[in-house]
Amino acid sequence: MFRLSLKMTIARKGRLFLTSLAIILGTSFLSGTTIFSDTINSTFDRLFTDVFRDVDAYVRSTDSVDTGFGEQRAPSPVAVLDTILKVKGVSAAVGDMQSYARVIAKDGKPIGQDQGPPTFGGIASESSAGLWSVEDGRLPNGAKEMMLDRETAEKGKYEIGDSVRVTALSGTRQFTLVGIANYGDISSPGGATFALFDQPTASEFLLRPGFVDAILIQGDGTLSDEELAKTINAALPADAKLETLTGAEITEETTSQIKTVLGFFTAFLTAFSFIALGIGCFVIYNVFSITAAQRQRESALLRAIGASRRQVTVSLLVEALIVGVLGSVIGFIAGIGLSRALSALLNAIGLEIPTRGLTINSDAVVQTVLIGTVITVLSAILPALRSGRVPPLAAMRDTALDTVQKLTRRVTIGLVLITAGAVGLFASMNGADVAVLGLGVLGVFAGVLVIGPALSKPVAMMLGKPVSALRGVTGAMSQQNAARNPKRTARTAAPVLIGVALVTAFTALAASVKNEIRESIGSSFRGDYALSVNSRGFGGIPISVTDQLTQLAEVDQATGVGFIAAKVGDESPFVLVFNPQTADGLYDLAMVEGTQKGLTKTEILVEADKALDKNLTIGSKINITLVDGRSAQLTVAGTYTDAYGNYAISRELFEGSATPLFDSFVYIKTAEGVSDESARTAISAVSEDLGVGTLESRDEYIDTQAAQVDQFLALIYGLLFLSVIIAIVGIIITLLLSVFERRREIGLLRAVGMTRSQVRTMVRWESVITSLFGAVTGVVLGILTGIVIVVSLNDSGFSAFTLPIGNTLFILFGAFIIGVIAAVFPAWRATRTEIISAIASA
Amino acid sequence: MNQTTQVTQNIDLANVAARAESASKIYGSGESEVRALDNVSVSFERGKFSAIMGPSGSGKSTLMHCIAGLDALTSGSVYIGETDLSKLSDKEITKLRREKIGFIFQSFNLIPTLNAYENITLPLSLGKSKGDKAWIQQVIDTISLNDRLDHRPSELSGGQQQRVAVARALATRPEIIFADEPTGNLDSKSGGDILKFMRRAVTDLKQTIVMVTHDAVSASYADRIVFLSDGHVAGEMTDPTPEKVLDFLKHLGE
Repeated sequence: MFRLSLKMTIARKGRLFLTSLAIILGTSFLSGTTIFSDTINSTFDRLFTDVFRDVDAYVRSTDSVDTGFGEQRAPSPVAVLDTILKVKGVSAAVGDMQSYARVIAKDGKPIGQDQGPPTFGGIASESSAGLWSVEDGRLPNGAKEMMLDRETAEKGKYEIGDSVRVTALSGTRQFTLVGIANYGDISSPGGATFALFDQPTASEFLLRPGFVDAILIQGDGTLSDEELAKTINAALPADAKLETLTGAEITEETTSQIKTVLGFFTAFLTAFSFIALGIGCFVIYNVFSITAAQRQRESALLRAIGASRRQVTVSLLVEALIVGVLGSVIGFIAGIGLSRALSALLNAIGLEIPTRGLTINSDAVVQTVLIGTVITVLSAILPALRSGRVPPLAAMRDTALDTVQKLTRRVTIGLVLITAGAVGLFASMNGADVAVLGLGVLGVFAGVLVIGPALSKPVAMMLGKPVSALRGVTGAMSQQNAARNPKRTARTAAPVLIGVALVTAFTALAASVKNEIRESIGSSFRGDYALSVNSRGFGGIPISVTDQLTQLAEVDQATGVGFIAAKVGDESPFVLVFNPQTADGLYDLAMVEGTQKGLTKTEILVEADKALDKNLTIGSKINITLVDGRSAQLTVAGTYTDAYGNYAISRELFEGSATPLFDSFVYIKTAEGVSDESARTAISAVSEDLGVGTLESRDEYIDTQAAQVDQFLALIYGLLFLSVIIAIVGIIITLLLSVFERRREIGLLRAVGMTRSQVRTMVRWESVITSLFGAVTGVVLGILTGIVIVVSLNDSGFSAFTLPIGNTLFILFGAFIIGVIAAVFPAWRATRTEIISAIASA
Repeated sequence: MNQTTQVTQNIDLANVAARAESASKIYGSGESEVRALDNVSVSFERGKFSAIMGPSGSGKSTLMHCIAGLDALTSGSVYIGETDLSKLSDKEITKLRREKIGFIFQSFNLIPTLNAYENITLPLSLGKSKGDKAWIQQVIDTISLNDRLDHRPSELSGGQQQRVAVARALATRPEIIFADEPTGNLDSKSGGDILKFMRRAVTDLKQTIVMVTHDAVSASYADRIVFLSDGHVAGEMTDPTPEKVLDFLKHLGE
């Protein structure tokens, strides 16, 4: 029987190809994301192994705050170097820094982007424990000299002897480039930029005089790394709050931290690859169902000549197994190309992630092939069982392929699922858990898919009406063909439905979020201009910029706002830091209780919902610990609604702290009577000189902030694109199989006078109606999902929902185009039908 | 044999609905070459019911397919009225089939998604023409299917389906109707009904029908029979009876 299956599989090349195609597409995204994640991980593994290659021990502060998006740690006093150097077994030790520093190129533009790879400032030293060595020129010495890594120097068109401007924590300064540095073979690790100084200059310019981020230590070889770390730790002053790690430990820790951050991202990608795989499942199931129906005679013949039910079923499953393995293997290979496309997609929307080479783990191969094969065989089980149940007599009969089954049971199950889902959704709209929301959405989706065959006939008939009116009998036949096999139409449209529902839901969600951002910034920002960076917590606008701007004659008032990681109570959030003295009338937190004006360094403001959640009212006490380990008990002075972040504190709290504090944006109000042009000229003279931030008018700034949502939406669209492709392929396959199945019918139509172009029209409109059926149900489902999500996650209720009408129409138009594209090849095949042999075929 | 003759050329050309001139159809080449039609010349008179007979493999279906514009000849030419089919593009031939030719096949004559009336008017609708309402009604009356017009093919019996097919073939009032074993799948009662309808279409409605059959009784409904054997015209007969046909076929086999 196995050999027979094998033979039958190979004999039907067309069917084999179509089934494989569905599996290939479904698995390729899975393998693509796996390869992509593996490549990123191994890139960072190698990177940090390189970076810490000569480091035997590592001393750092024990004070840190982990916000969940990377850890922030307090600096260490450089004075401890003397102690460490005296420890037996230490041959060299040097301060290390990885602080924010942005190099400004010769043309005045900063090198590196806010959202690109980090731009670092660090220490160059002659010590062999240092990470950097001199490639060209010499080491910097004193407050006026610096080095650059090779790639940054080239990007900025700088040569040794040139004067280079750099922006860092304490503002923008000018240095003379005295050398080019590298770490061994790497000229610019991961696309990051490096500006290097001698230790005193680096500490004073990038961080705080007398402090470094950590201390790198090289042993003399007499002790193992573990013993060395232990000895050093014992020698450190007890009250210094310092700890010692081995080189291996710090490498491991740094790598795993990066991986945690990237982990969110790869999990996100994986989620989308499973969506694609799920959609692929529908296509695979559909193909097996149709081919099983079409080979009903073949199965019946097998039964008639003595094959058991089991054997017929098993033969189809064996075919599924063969196709599954084959398709998954090809899918895996296709995934390699796809992982590059994924890189390109992320680059295109500005999320640059450094990758070196291509990492293909055997796990990835096994995982893809296994998952691909298992879902293929699972998708084939029902059709295979149905095949086995074919009575032997069917071989003799001219069997009707378009059987109409009773749909009552299906409708009942579907309605039960939808009702259960709806109950979940209502619960979540009234404040139940996010998990309930997810289950509710899942229930409604599953219900709609189950009920699909009952919907597809009436909806296809309705959608087909205008086609029939417009295209006469040809259109009427498209309409009838789309409606004649409701199960098939529903299964074919399911991938479109899921894809469109997701796209619509995300689009509606994005539109609502954008609207909220606009309203929120619109009410909090009362000035005329904003200078902003989007630094994601690393670096930003030096706080001295605000003072420089305030001094301009054109500027009436300027206030900076920044974010910093801190422990507040039992949380580790980013806390909003503002200047209550200058913010008044320019930056409004929309206070619910209390006032923001006159906030002191012993007070804190809390977001209204957070306050409710944490049971905080005016006068409540809450503990805050800054990155440098300083802690204070603050009194709640008020609650607010409109701002990023759940806690807001005064900048005063950071006076004398070693924690680097940057502004993320500076709001500016111009003096009366100053023209737009002169305001911009004056402000950009300062900001461009410093090489920081983007200057925008109030409206531009609000637009830009809202547009950040579009970047996320673009990513989701990009990731759903493959699902759309799978949906198109699903329609193509179904149409091809239908065209094959209706060969006689098409032959007859051609005989009685249907032209080739009418045949094309007929197939095209059937495709469009099927696609639109999926799209219309998808849009309805997507909008409902969007409303439910917005309402559940937002307190302002239904009013927060914004229906993106233009986008929705565009999605429907897209579905129309999908239908047209999917029909091209099947329609061409249909026009090639040989009339005589088609009519003669039984 | 006294009523058969090989001479068909002296028929008045103006009264010819369709004809083939030196028509050859060759499948394959070299060793496996099959001459389905070998230099066949034949014409079919307007307003007459003609039959093409012959054993399987004689080329009778091929001849019909080629004259009806469903298949192309290897050499020679076929005419529908005065139109030379070999000079037409696929689009023009399709239009010709739609407007000037009617078809009745052995089985699967109807589109399952259209009801009986829509099937009857299908060639007209494909040409976006309303057709002659009175004529269509007359045709429908002839096949007596007035009460089943809104039924789908799956709701009709085999005989009823073939009657709809006859009506469809007549609906455009074509130059000529080709029927390929129209009763082959029917019981003798329904088959007889169909043949009577076809006969009436010729006698009462002045239509032209060419029918391919291997059944002597069916063939006896025709005015004239053309016999084919091994791709050649083997003879013809006018005013046939089943007995005469069987007798001729017996001698043909020798």
